[in-house]
Amino acid sequence: MEKYGILLPIVFPLVMGALLPLFPFRNKRGRNLYIELVTIATAAFAVWLIFHRPSEDFNVLNLAGNLEVKFHIDGLGMVFGGLVSFLWPLATLYAFEYMEHDTKDNVFFSFYTMTFGVTIGIAFSGNLMTMYMFYEMLTLVTMPLVMHGCSRKAILACRKYMTYSIGGAAFAFIGFIFVYRLGNTMDFTFGGVFSGVALGEKEALVKAVYVLAVLGFGVKAAIFPFYGWLPAVSVAPTPVTALLHAVAVVKAGAFAIIRITYYSFGAEFLQGSFAQYTVLVFAIATILFGSARAVKEPHLKRRLAYSTISNLSYIIFAALLMTPEGMVGSMMHIIAHAFIKITLFYCAGAILHCSGLEYVRDMAGLAKKMPYVCACFLAAGAGLIGVPPMAAFVSKWHIGTAAIASGDPLAIAGMFAVLFSAFCTAVYICGFVMRAFLPFSGEGDWKTKQACDPTWRMKLPLGILVYMIFTIGMFAKPLLAFLGRVASGGL
Amino acid sequence: MTGNIWLAVLWLLPFIGALPLLFFSGKKAGYACGRMAVFTAAAEFLLSLILAVNTFFNGGSTCAISGVMGFGLTFSMEGFNAVYLVILSFMWMTAVFFSPEYMRGHENLRRYYLFTLLTLGATAGVFLSADLITLFLFFEIMSFTSYVWVAQEETRGALRAAGTYLSVAVLGGMVMLMGMFLLYHLTGTLSIAELRAACAAVKERGVLFAAGLMMLVGFGAKAGMFPLHIWLPKAHPVAPAPASALLSGVLTKAGILGIILLCGSVLFGEERFGFLVLVLGVITMFLGAVLGVFSVDLKRTFACSSVSQVGFILTGLGALNLLPEKMLAIDGAFLHMVNHSLIKLVLFLLAGIVYKNLHSLDFNEIRGFGKGKPFFFAAYVSAALAIGGMPLFSGYISKTLLHEAIVESAHMYGGGTHTLLVAAEWIFLVSGGMTVAYMLKVFFVLFVDSPAAKHTHVRESENYVSNPVKCLLAVPAVLFAVFGMLPGITMQKIAGWAEPFFNGGAFLEGKDAVHYFSLGNLKGALISIVIGVFLYFVFVRRFLCEKEEGGMYYKNCIPVWLDLEDGIYRPLCCYLLPLLFEVPCRLADGLVSEKFFARILPFMLAVPCRILDKFVGGMVYVVNRTVFRQVREKEHVVMGDRLAYYAGSAADCISRIYRRVSKKGEKEGRSYVERFRDGEEKLSRTVRLVTRSVSYGLLLSCIGLLMTMLYLLME
Repeated sequence: MEKYGILLPIVFPLVMGALLPLFPFRNKRGRNLYIELVTIATAAFAVWLIFHRPSEDFNVLNLAGNLEVKFHIDGLGMVFGGLVSFLWPLATLYAFEYMEHDTKDNVFFSFYTMTFGVTIGIAFSGNLMTMYMFYEMLTLVTMPLVMHGCSRKAILACRKYMTYSIGGAAFAFIGFIFVYRLGNTMDFTFGGVFSGVALGEKEALVKAVYVLAVLGFGVKAAIFPFYGWLPAVSVAPTPVTALLHAVAVVKAGAFAIIRITYYSFGAEFLQGSFAQYTVLVFAIATILFGSARAVKEPHLKRRLAYSTISNLSYIIFAALLMTPEGMVGSMMHIIAHAFIKITLFYCAGAILHCSGLEYVRDMAGLAKKMPYVCACFLAAGAGLIGVPPMAAFVSKWHIGTAAIASGDPLAIAGMFAVLFSAFCTAVYICGFVMRAFLPFSGEGDWKTKQACDPTWRMKLPLGILVYMIFTIGMFAKPLLAFLGRVASGGL
Repeated sequence: MTGNIWLAVLWLLPFIGALPLLFFSGKKAGYACGRMAVFTAAAEFLLSLILAVNTFFNGGSTCAISGVMGFGLTFSMEGFNAVYLVILSFMWMTAVFFSPEYMRGHENLRRYYLFTLLTLGATAGVFLSADLITLFLFFEIMSFTSYVWVAQEETRGALRAAGTYLSVAVLGGMVMLMGMFLLYHLTGTLSIAELRAACAAVKERGVLFAAGLMMLVGFGAKAGMFPLHIWLPKAHPVAPAPASALLSGVLTKAGILGIILLCGSVLFGEERFGFLVLVLGVITMFLGAVLGVFSVDLKRTFACSSVSQVGFILTGLGALNLLPEKMLAIDGAFLHMVNHSLIKLVLFLLAGIVYKNLHSLDFNEIRGFGKGKPFFFAAYVSAALAIGGMPLFSGYISKTLLHEAIVESAHMYGGGTHTLLVAAEWIFLVSGGMTVAYMLKVFFVLFVDSPAAKHTHVRESENYVSNPVKCLLAVPAVLFAVFGMLPGITMQKIAGWAEPFFNGGAFLEGKDAVHYFSLGNLKGALISIVIGVFLYFVFVRRFLCEKEEGGMYYKNCIPVWLDLEDGIYRPLCCYLLPLLFEVPCRLADGLVSEKFFARILPFMLAVPCRILDKFVGGMVYVVNRTVFRQVREKEHVVMGDRLAYYAGSAADCISRIYRRVSKKGEKEGRSYVERFRDGEEKLSRTVRLVTRSVSYGLLLSCIGLLMTMLYLLME
């Protein structure tokens, strides 16, 4: 019976979300309460599972041969699942106010809740087959969210998103087939499934396939040059862009890359090979590209989207170092960036919601009208730059030491890219912050006249998130110790 | 938290003191914030004084807060930290005391005080830190909080200067972080106390050198070292005067602190590094002094002077790695740091007093301000003599030591190096001379020149500055003279406390006493002063001033284009680099876009597919056209009669030949075959017609009759 528990946080939100249109809610209050309760319950289930992990794997069904749908919670899954479970209820709370005046909000919340289940499914999947299945489901279930506005722009963006995602998954599928045919097992095994397999001449082929698979999953993680969909989908409502495109979807891509690198192909197998260098070059190029584009982007949400592109490649870069230290840095940055970027997106969303402004140039002097939101943006932005003692400093420190310790010239070049990107981060964050806090006298006053801080439903998640950014940075030691255990295969 | 908890309190105090400022609001907020800041700064000064005294009697103490950021923070207070904390908290206290009167009527006072306190806490943290991570943490916080100072006035110039300041600081911080990664990888420790031993054991000297260079960029950016000094002459004039005093007096010293660690611990004994720092120091001091001589803005002059003095300090730090006898270099550098901090405090606050009264800093508008203000005069003269290196004032002592350090290192080497170091010595003396020259220039502006006609000065009035500020300013002004007259029992002692910090934790042994007032040492100072006076009267008064009716007019002779930032850095960062990156990115971006997936890729795939698809159809087509081609009926050429045909063909032939020969008309007329045929047909038709007609019958009958008659006749 216990083992069925693992299905709960996955199926529960899926079912409850799908059933939402059937409930006859009188008003939004009741519906909101229902959604929030479902979300909190799911998060609670997930967290409970993370702390009381079922010892055995759970085989749900067998499709053919050893193609099984199988769940298992290991260290990496705990990190991702825990992160998502923490952020989702806050995001939902924020979404209530944001979607207040929307007419199709029932549909929105229905899919929003279902996405939660799918994301948990990715985190808790026990083999490549299951992860692939949920990965595709994630694309499909987020589609209506992206298209929510149903404007021409939104539909085009959605089409772009689908093209890229499904195309990427097709590449990933090639990797999936090779692991299935040549590996020991489909299950995620720390150290890879090729240990002890005599690959012979096929070794180079398998490595080439690994490159394909990383690029395939990398489409969701917005690796250059497959990033195009990410800035486009910033037309979606902010709760979606923030949660899905700074946390769930893109992090699912990064998560999948870590999975196949460390748990399917195996870091030892790949280390020092042409495959590693090829993908590292992609990651480094993305780091530089994303931050450079962010500097030039005047639209605040798109600027953050480019920033996401750059920061995701920090994660991928660290993961591709193929060392335990690199994996620690990578997971730490997943966490740090998730908290920071969701805060930044929420601030951008709050600004859009409360003042209707989208372009940075219009936001001069905004801090006088929306001090709370701008202060949160400042704090999270400082965190993103990597100002100690914020969360991202710790992760950057670990990425840096891992890169240097690997001794690889490419890794050191990558570290320079990370630091250059950090400088760009300072430029594009300060570009907003300076304008908001220190406008030229009289500039832009007429545009920000209407603005004011949002209500507690937006403020509370922002406050909690900023608090977490500090706390994670200041008291990172236990978390780092845990990540260290994960990266050494102990969990 | 373990160890001496008061060390943590020392840097936390300003942060805690800043908290209430967040809740002040309303009309009196500025006033209340000022009070709160004064109170906090004074408490900070008292606390650091107590801790310093405790350090001198009971020895150093440390404090560790474990677990922060996964590394833990460590602090220590030894002689150097104690001396500098006392100095910096004193400077902060003075600056904050002066702030309310300077900032009267300004906006955003709460922000100003808030960030002044935050910067105090961060700076205290920098000077207390016992490992490089802690140092970096507070260093970065300091950079960001002090940004607000520069941007405080919110004018375009201020925001631009602030942008430059932040860019340099962040870029420097990032490069420094990279250096720290390398250093940590090589040594496995970042604790300052263990650094020297750990670095000495490193085998890969090249990598260590690279790490040192990167950190030099980071610290040098804050210190104002050439070529990263660009922010300094821009930021100081636009920041409020008390903030300028702190930026110049303390924040640059935080950068110097890092360079001390590099020279004294990380790359201890590396001669190349020593040379590098020395050469950069010499360039910095010379350029700063030149800019100072040309400047026509009071605060800008002092800012350039800061750049120059930082160069003096760097020279000493460079010499540290060249000399076997470290004492000269260490004492010289440290004492010059102390002197410069205090001198700049006095000078910038004096500039603040000028600005507060006249709302201008331009030499042409502030002329004669100091007349009839004895306190102002005394304070300025004391500071000017000190910074000019006049014997019996404190600057003389530190400059003498630095000068000796260069001279001694020149003795160490032969050949080209010797020449280089002798040249460095002369640049040193000339820069000292220029220091005298620009201080003289300011002196003449403030106290000798007659005021501009349009200005009515606050004359004789005692209100130009409040009494508490006077008292606080008097302390350093008097100290300069005391230090300078009694170096043995004052400055020498202070330097003795600080030596271990420069020397990787160990006290120096076997020191020689320096005879400050020996003839040889006095000679150096006198050369500088003579050069300075000569420069002022011959060069400045002749070429940089013009006599006009009301007095002197000071020209700004530095061309605008001669600006490192606008000339090189900004174009490089804003245009060249983006261009370099943009081209490949655009290419790749254009290649892999939706268009690529939607248009180009399908097209490229479609071509071979279409070809394959059309292959069978194409075969059919080809066969249709060739083998199974429908046989066409031969065109029926009406030939007419055979004779007409042949004759016509022949005529055609002839006419073609004729045309070709005569080159007449290109156009071919009707074929002769046709013509002949037509003619023939016409003929035969006519014949037919004729033969069928009655008259033809009659004619033939007539002919028959005629023939018959002829036959009958002939018969």
